[in-house]
Parts: sequence; structure tokens; C-alpha cells
Amino acid sequence: MDPREAKQLEHAEYDTAGNDEDAPKGPTTQWVSFTIEGETYAVDVLKVQEVLKQVDIAPVPGAPPYILGIINLRGNVVPVLDTRKRMGLPPQSYDESTRIIILDVDEDSVGIVVDSVAEVEEVSDDAIDTAPGASNDEGSRFIQGVVSTGENLLILLDVERLIAREGAAKRSA
Amino acid sequence: MGFDADNELLQDFLVEAGELLEGLNQQLIDLEQSSDDPDLLNSVFRSFHTIKGGAGFLELDPLVEVCHRAEDVFNLLRNGERGMTTHLMDVMLEVLDVLNAQFASLQAGEPPEAAPESLLRALERLRDGEDEAGETAGEASAPEAADEENEPDLMASIEAARERDQAAGESGEQPASDEITDDEFEQLLDKLHGEGQHQGKPAEAAAEKSARAPADSDEISEDEFEQLLDNLHGEGKGPGSPGDKAAAAPAPARAEPPARKPESAPPGAESARAAAPPAKGDGAQSRPAKKPAQPKQELIRVDTSRLDAIMNLVGELVLVRNQLNTLQSREEEGKISKAIANLDMVTSDLQAAVMKTRMQPIKKVFGRFPRVIRDLSRQLGKEVNLVMEGEDTDLDKNLVEALADPLIHLVRNAVDHGIEMPDEREAKGKARAGQVKLSASQEGDHILLSISDDGKGMDPEKLRSKAVEKGLMDEQAAARMTEQECYEVILMPGFSTKDEISDISGRGVGMDVVKTAINKLSGTVDIDSEPNGGTMLRIKVPLTLAILPTLMVVVGGRKFAMPLGNISEIIDFEGRKINVVDGQKSINVRDRAVPIYHLGDWLVSDPLESEAGEADDPQAVLVQVGNQIAGLVVDRVLGQEEVVIKPLGELLHGVPGVAGATITGEGHIAMILDLSGLFRHYARGGRRAA
Repeated sequence: MDPREAKQLEHAEYDTAGNDEDAPKGPTTQWVSFTIEGETYAVDVLKVQEVLKQVDIAPVPGAPPYILGIINLRGNVVPVLDTRKRMGLPPQSYDESTRIIILDVDEDSVGIVVDSVAEVEEVSDDAIDTAPGASNDEGSRFIQGVVSTGENLLILLDVERLIAREGAAKRSA
Repeated sequence: MGFDADNELLQDFLVEAGELLEGLNQQLIDLEQSSDDPDLLNSVFRSFHTIKGGAGFLELDPLVEVCHRAEDVFNLLRNGERGMTTHLMDVMLEVLDVLNAQFASLQAGEPPEAAPESLLRALERLRDGEDEAGETAGEASAPEAADEENEPDLMASIEAARERDQAAGESGEQPASDEITDDEFEQLLDKLHGEGQHQGKPAEAAAEKSARAPADSDEISEDEFEQLLDNLHGEGKGPGSPGDKAAAAPAPARAEPPARKPESAPPGAESARAAAPPAKGDGAQSRPAKKPAQPKQELIRVDTSRLDAIMNLVGELVLVRNQLNTLQSREEEGKISKAIANLDMVTSDLQAAVMKTRMQPIKKVFGRFPRVIRDLSRQLGKEVNLVMEGEDTDLDKNLVEALADPLIHLVRNAVDHGIEMPDEREAKGKARAGQVKLSASQEGDHILLSISDDGKGMDPEKLRSKAVEKGLMDEQAAARMTEQECYEVILMPGFSTKDEISDISGRGVGMDVVKTAINKLSGTVDIDSEPNGGTMLRIKVPLTLAILPTLMVVVGGRKFAMPLGNISEIIDFEGRKINVVDGQKSINVRDRAVPIYHLGDWLVSDPLESEAGEADDPQAVLVQVGNQIAGLVVDRVLGQEEVVIKPLGELLHGVPGVAGATITGEGHIAMILDLSGLFRHYARGGRRAA
């Protein structure tokens, strides 16, 4: 499926779903949520190109350690980030629910590996808080904000920082 | 029509005038050699004049200001009213710099900055002539008056013509200039000047064009453009009517006051003689020879990104073909093999055809060198002649761009380090002026570029000791180097022979950067030198960067593509005796010790289990990197395959030893190796072991 179509479909799906709930107040944004190590994260839906099931990732010799390798996405070469390594989390082997989210940033595609993909969430701008205790551990520098949904916390990731080259990421963080 | 009111017209102007500007660069340098060449003077004059006209049309006043004054000066020059001086040339080159800067602003969508007042004053002083009377000054202002009179008229006519066209139902999406047809131009011109007046012009323009870079004329052909602009300024001329006084001077755009006619007749007549033959015979001959694109030929301008997209698709097609070929060889059925063979052929042809659309002559780069050499030789007090060959050699647009900087560096090096001072040359019995020669030629699927000078050359012994002194290698290794290898030392990082660091070159990073840049293009550099005889650098790059012939190998269960250009042979590794020399494994190939490296050690940290034990038939691929040969041991050699290079993207930019990736016939990814990068990164001791 054409990625644009996919995106539209997601939007369409969401729109009908949104009507059932109480309409959120103020401007809202849509986020694709997923889990890594039990936590729920989310990325801006507009930056998501598509979600892939497990594919063959070819390692690139000499690449930085947080890059797992590259995949063949319909004839295009797309690098895939080891999200766990990037965020300083312990490694885990892939299983049935493992997904690769293809992000589209500045016309560049980059994949990130996640434990599982949940759904598209609508988040009101008012509900976004800054990350609690912006500590200096590995993961926190990619966090754009958090949203509490009942007892759970939805962690909004800054895609640009996440996929930026190591040096650049440090500078902007 | 304001600055950015009509973008199409502005873009057309930028392209047309940009080409003229490029040509001017060369012409001005040529003029310094033969300052009394009337054709050349006319041509320069016309170029300024044309740019001025176009700029005036678009109300780009800063450009008009400069061009107008430069044009005035050249008007005097071609009339023989003043001579060429170095000072004049300096001012003119500065004019060119200013124009280039203004063009850059326009291209960036910003209004051009006005030329520095000092430059305008300098031009005025040149025009008024330090030693010439007010008579000339009065004369020079005449064309200006003519402009003002005629411009509104013609503009109105053009507008009218265009409206007519649009009314006639032409597509509004086409560039506006496209809508002015030849016929309308004819009408327009006839209306303004009467029949037959401009008849001699196309031939003359063609002659002029053939003397310059063959511009890829787009919507408006240059002839038309010239005519239009010339007529904008309302001069009467044309070699077609020799009896006429005005026609005796073939130069366009000049309204001569009657008072000046007697004096100007001799130079005018002379230039008429010079210009007349091209108008009759030569013009017709040189046109097809030098410029295969006939005016009648239809050209469209295509965004390069579209060409890139097409190239990408063709790349995909090549991959699909490869896949089919793979499938076919498995099937061995042969029913569809004929269809596949056809597809194979068509794909190859398509690939070649698309590649051709991206080709550009190397002249795009070479064109800058006369200026570089001139500036440099003046700065250094050297005398240097530049000889260029094979400027029409075509190569991929991306390559042309990528080669520009390395070549400029090499040319600067040749002048700075190679060519001696005039007195020194004389003492050695050489001509005072040194020579730098640039040549380009196509050889199979490669382009060969060479930069040679007849300067002092390099002394291998000196290089040997320098290499040790700089800590690039130990004494023994240095002593073992062949002469050829000594020259290669200058390509090593951190090497610079000039003791004092000069402004021009010699920061000790240059040659290394050049080599890296060329390697990145899958190219090679090799050096030859002779003390006091000069130095020659040969650069070999593939015709295109998009598709690469490679050797597919398997290492640790994964496929890698090695550029075929680096590979000299494949030998069986099994059963060979391995010697360890200086801690380095090596094998003997025809009595030569060749260092070997296991590619798996470098590239594979986690071999695929299924294939790990399969290396029962290891082979060594002998590769040539720089001037050294090394053997790379691989598990299996699959064979030759043309691959489409897919860049790894920003995130993986600069990964050592990997030039890109490609998709194999089975749809898997294979890394394309950059062998010299690989050696630089992994084989630290590699250099001395050759």
C-alpha cells in the first residue's frame, strides 16, 4: 500500500473512533503508541510512514552500535535503529509482536525496532506535560513530553532527536 | 515586471546568460593572449551586451549597471580606440566576479547586490580613457541613448506577441519564452528594422557560438535571443548588405554618431573581413561540427531531480532483470528465457539511454581552469600556459560536480608545486612559461582524466626521506618502496612537501582529500613523475555513479559486492602456502609476496550459523588499491553482477569501507565495499607490506 494511503486510512479510522469519545478540548495531535520494555511510547503520526513486521535486517560493518543495519524497503535502503540500545535499555530477542516503525523525517526514512505497536492516540496539547524529573539517563533526552492516561504514562518521543546522528543528538539535547 | 514577478523569464535569463557568463570567463583569458583578435573582442562585447539586454528586460538594474559599463569599454577595444592592458583585464575579471555573485543571489531568489562603486568608477575611467579625449566619451554614451528610445517599443511588441500566442491557445504552463516563436521574432525584427537587415546575423551568431562553449540552447535559441536584444538597442547592421556604412562594422548594438565614421572605418572594415567568411562558409560548416544541436532541434529543459527519479526507476528495472535472470538459471526450463533475454537487452539499452540524458561535458569543470591558472600564476609570479584536451568528453552530471573540487586542487598544486619560477626554468634550459595540461578521454566504461605539468617533478628519494621524517612509515618500509610507491606517498594523510605552508596549496591535507574524494567516486588516482620533467596525475573514474559492475562474494553467509575496477584476479586459496612476513600473512603469487586478509575478520562479527561452516572453497580475490596489491580471502565467489548503488543515507554516512548497498537478485541486501576505505580503516600495516 502506498504509504500516503496508509496514513490517510489511519486518519480515517481514527476519525470515526474519535467521534465515539468525548471530543478533546483545544488543539490535538495524533500519536502512534508502542511499547518497549513495558513502557508505552508514542511518536507523531505524521512522521510515521508505515509499520513493518519482522524483516531481514542486514548489518552494516563498521556502523555505530545503535544501528542494527539496513533493510530493503521496496527497493530503497532504510537504516534501522536499535531503539533499546539507543535508549540504554537491555537487549531482547525478537518475537511475534516485534515491529519496525518506519519514520519519515526530512525525506529520510529510518526504522526503529519496538516490542509491539499499540494504537493511534489523540492527545490534546493541553495534556502534554514536560517529562518528570528530566534526568540525564540515556532515554530521557529523546523525550518530548508525557501524557498521563489514567494510571499509565504515554511518553512522547522526539523523533528528530531519536534518529539524529549521535553527535548531532547530543548537541540538540 | 519586477524582480521576481516573472520567475520563468528570470530562470530563462539565468540559464541563457549564465552560459554567456561561463563563456566570458574563457574568452577574457583568451583575450589576454591575443588582445587584438576582433572576433574575440566582438564576442565578449556581445556577451556583455546580451546579458545587459536580458537584465534590462527583467529590470535587474545592478546587473545592467555593470554590464553597460563593461560593454562600453569593450566597444572601445574592438574599435581599436584603446588597447588591452593588464589593469583592464583585472577590472574585467572583477566585473565577472561581481556578475557571478549577482547571479548567485538571483538563483537564491534574492535581489542582486549592486556592484561596488569603486568598480563602476574604474570602468568609467577605463571607458573615458586616461589618455583619450572627451570625443570617445561622447561616443560611448550614444548607444545608451539608443537603448532608451527603443526599449519600450520592443517590450511592448514582445508582450503583444506573447498575448497573441496565448490567445491562440498555447498552454499557459509552458515557459513564457517558449511562446515567442521564430516566426514572430522574424516579424518583430522586420517590423522594427525592415526586411533583410538581420539576415547575416544567424550565421554570424553561429560562428560566434562555435567559438565558444556549445550552449545547450533551450526554449529561446541563442540566435533569437541575440537578435531580440540587439534589436532592443536598435542598432542597424548586418554583413548581408556590404554597401551600407553601418554594415561595414559587423559588431551589433552600435549606433555610431556620424562624426566618428571616418576614424572607425579601418577597424570596422577589418572586423568585417574577419566576420564575413564565417557568415558564408565557415559558419555553415562549423555549426554541425561543433554544435550538433541544430537550432531546429527541439529541446526541453528537464529538472535534474526528474532525471534522477528516472534513473532510479531504471535501476529498479535492472534489479528486476537480475532477479529474473536468477530465477531463470534455477528453472532451467527455457520457455521464458527468450523473453528474459529480450528484457535483458531492452533494459541495457534503456539504461544506456537514460544515462546519456544525464551526461554533461567535462568542460563544465575545465572551463574554470583558465581563470584559476591566470590568477594563480600572477599571484606566484610564474608564467603558465594551460592546454586542455577532450573538453567535450561526457560524463555523469553528479561526477562532473564531484570532480570539480579535486581537479581544482590538483591544478593549483601543479602550478604551485610543479611549475618553477621563470628564471629557474630558463636556467634549466626550459621555456620561461611552464605548461599545465588537462585532458579527458573515455576508455571503455571509464573516464580518464590527466593533469600534467612540465615542472620540476618529484624526487623519489626526497619523498622517501620525507615519509620517514613525517612518521608515515619506518625506514625499512620506506627503503622498500618502488619509485612508483614513493610518488603515492604524497597521497597519504599528513604529507606535504612544501616546507612553508602557502596560501594556495600545501596545507598537508590536500592530496589526501583529493584521493578520498576520487575514491568515493569509485575512482583511482595514480602518479607518475620525472625529476625536472614534470608530474602527471591520472584519475580514472567510472562513467556513472548509479550503476556499478561488481564481483559478488559471500563472506560469513552474507553477500558483498566488490567494485570490479579494483579487482585484478581471483585465485584459489585452498592449499596455498601461507608465509608470515613481518607479522603479516602473505601468499606467493608469481614470485611476488601478496599480503592477505580475511574479509570475514573485518566485516562479519556474527556469521549466519547456517552458512558458517560452508567456507570449504575459500578463494582470494586479488585487489589493487592505489599501487599495492592485496589478497582478500572470501568464502565463495558468486560472479559478476551489475549493481545499482543505493546510498546508505545520512545516518550511516561515513561508515568506513562501505560505499553503499544494493539489492541482490533474491531481494536481499548486499553491502558494496569501498576497498580503499576498507584498507585505510582495517589494514593499518597494509601500506608497507606491498
